[in-house]
Amino acid sequence: MSEPTDSAALQITGLVKQFGEKIAVAGIDLAVPQGSFFGLVGPNGAGKTTTLSMATGLLRPDAGAAWVHGVDVWQRPVEAKRIIGNLADGVRLFDRLTGEQLITYTAMMFGLPRPEIAPRVADLLELMDLREAAGTIVADYSAGMTKKVALACALVHAPRLLVLDEPFESVDPVSAANIEDVLRSYTRSGGTVIVSSHSMDLVQRMCDHVAIIAAGRVLAAGSVDDVRGAQTLQDRFVELVGGRHTSEGPQWLRQS
Amino acid sequence: MVATVLRLRYRILGNTLARRPWQLVGFCFGILWALWVLGAAIAGLIALSLTQGLDLARTVAIIGGSLLLLGWVIGPLLIAGLETTVDAGRLAPFPLSGPQVMRALVATGITGIPGIVTALVSLATVVLWLRWPAAAVVAVPAIAIAVLTCVVATQLMSSLAMGLGGNRRGREVVGTVVLALVILAGPLLTGVFALIDQAADLGVRIAQVVDILAWTPLGAPWAVPGDAAAGAWLTALARLAIAAATLVVLWLLWQRSLDASVTSPPQRASRAVRPGALGLFGRMPTGGVGATWARSLTAWLRDPRYLRQLLVIPLFPVVFAFAGGVDGWLFSASAVMCALVLSIAGYADVSYDGTAFASVLSTGIRGRDDRLGRLCAAACIGIPLTLLVGVVTAGIAGAWGTLPAVLGVALGLLLAGYGVTAVSSALLVVPVARPGDSPFKTVPGQTFLNGLVVFVVWGACLVLATPAIVLAVLSLVSNRETLGWISLLVAVVVGVGAIVAGVIVGGRTIERTGPDLLVRIKAFPT
Repeated sequence: MSEPTDSAALQITGLVKQFGEKIAVAGIDLAVPQGSFFGLVGPNGAGKTTTLSMATGLLRPDAGAAWVHGVDVWQRPVEAKRIIGNLADGVRLFDRLTGEQLITYTAMMFGLPRPEIAPRVADLLELMDLREAAGTIVADYSAGMTKKVALACALVHAPRLLVLDEPFESVDPVSAANIEDVLRSYTRSGGTVIVSSHSMDLVQRMCDHVAIIAAGRVLAAGSVDDVRGAQTLQDRFVELVGGRHTSEGPQWLRQS
Repeated sequence: MVATVLRLRYRILGNTLARRPWQLVGFCFGILWALWVLGAAIAGLIALSLTQGLDLARTVAIIGGSLLLLGWVIGPLLIAGLETTVDAGRLAPFPLSGPQVMRALVATGITGIPGIVTALVSLATVVLWLRWPAAAVVAVPAIAIAVLTCVVATQLMSSLAMGLGGNRRGREVVGTVVLALVILAGPLLTGVFALIDQAADLGVRIAQVVDILAWTPLGAPWAVPGDAAAGAWLTALARLAIAAATLVVLWLLWQRSLDASVTSPPQRASRAVRPGALGLFGRMPTGGVGATWARSLTAWLRDPRYLRQLLVIPLFPVVFAFAGGVDGWLFSASAVMCALVLSIAGYADVSYDGTAFASVLSTGIRGRDDRLGRLCAAACIGIPLTLLVGVVTAGIAGAWGTLPAVLGVALGLLLAGYGVTAVSSALLVVPVARPGDSPFKTVPGQTFLNGLVVFVVWGACLVLATPAIVLAVLSLVSNRETLGWISLLVAVVVGVGAIVAGVIVGGRTIERTGPDLLVRIKAFPT
């Protein structure tokens, strides 16, 4: 098992997770360099969410370890979580609160000084185009707005590492472009972003590093250009993961 | 079509039970209970038909039948398990017409355990009329109408309670109305009992009630065979018409509400506060304790699932006043009962977070901050409420002398409860209604074991409160007020000790168990 290196914002070694009979993650090693924009891609059920949950202290791994800037997530969870901004997928928010209350609440949870909270919340509402919906309770938000408010919560304490599970799912293109700009300037200033996504185009455009995982294993990892070579990331992904069908579909489905 | 839906229902039931052994145990108890009810009812009916005359048979049929329908209407909203494995919303994507969906749902309603028991007991009432063959023949269609009315009424209620256009506000409105009805039900019932107590001749009263019920949709179908047996064919016909009309009206209402809930797009509620209105989040100190405190207290004040637990508090004094009068010792001890209920209110508090607990977990706040925040919120509600009940009941009864002792016991239990639940809620989560759902919605996955834990928590509270209880009892027996004050003092000191220990132990525990609790919450059936 390799020891954490200082240059890695997130270092994962030998993570394993098994749910009953099914092995969701079968030994994953990853090193996410500081300041990188790191994409995690894989087919449905590849273990992306499970891996990210274990890396952020939400799901206890069966084996392996995760370090965030050299802090062991499972040995010193409180310290590690202070430097992570986490957008988890498939969990609720405290959606009886208004958007503004929810972001304020998250800021308070991280113990931000009171005078800093209101300006940060205002900036985030502006950034996410949520100003008009600030006083509406989150349960009444659309799917895209809910994603955006969750993203705002992940950003509010200015973490050193952002872990975003499917951040752009159902977010409209304009908001997505605005958010992308902010994330880019964040990585330029030394912050690190990990996104998981199904959209190869998005990952190829935004990320400088990528890891392709399938069936709980890393198939390829490195800089985007190294991984894809001369191909598009989409083609490289399909080549690695397999399972592409070329048929025209079953006969009964064709309309004429 | 209907057969396919029925097969689906039993397949889902089978799969659920196979995966959750404790639910299987509960299911078996349910079946045993149903068999017992069935046996007792049929035996009673046979005995009745052999030994008693027409009048009593009529009375039993009408009152029993009315209670049955009432149970089918109210039951699912309050306690019993309404089948939600197959509902209109889930059948909506299939190419079925409205009436087809409704027929399928009626079939699933009749073939559930409550449906089968109801149908069998209802059919068994035919033995009441065997001495009058014509009446027995008429009874069969009347009973069929009555059973169908039960099932359709339940479906209408559930579609009203859950659907109402798929609108969140609508569901919350229904939830609130039901809450209000439940609050009122207590005083109403005690009032009715009081009236019956005062009645000089119970028999006359009951006869009156039966005569009225027979003309209402509740009792009409059950009155038909009795009328036929007595030879009053015109009355029988009129009541049969009432029963049939009831069924038709309920069916049409159900159809309308289903159309509304399935086809009308969920409306976005426009409830919004002005920007900058932070509520408690603007007032509490920043940090883990303040944030948790503000969130949890907001839930205690707003969330119907928390408010539901506060419902019984005003009921205790009212019920005790009716039961024993305001001079009775029960009335003065209302505060103790309130404390007993409030002490376990948070025994699995994390459950109410649902998967949003992930956002607590990912901030990595200290366990003791989380515990303390939740505890402060619960105490902000529980302590003033208990004191209020204690002082008001003492004021009404004029029993100021016993107030310190009563408050000693009440606070002893309540504060001990806060300490104990700070630990218990770090150890276990139970399935609860999701935020925004009806607080009375039955959730699958509740187990026998969870019920036992409540008693363990109560036991721990009682042990911790023992010193205060003993002193209070001594004070009441020897009539010395000073001992009461000492009891109050001991209660507070021991209680604060329990809270400090609970926060420390519970805090350490939840830092260890947090991720496991989240896994369990995610695994709950939704």
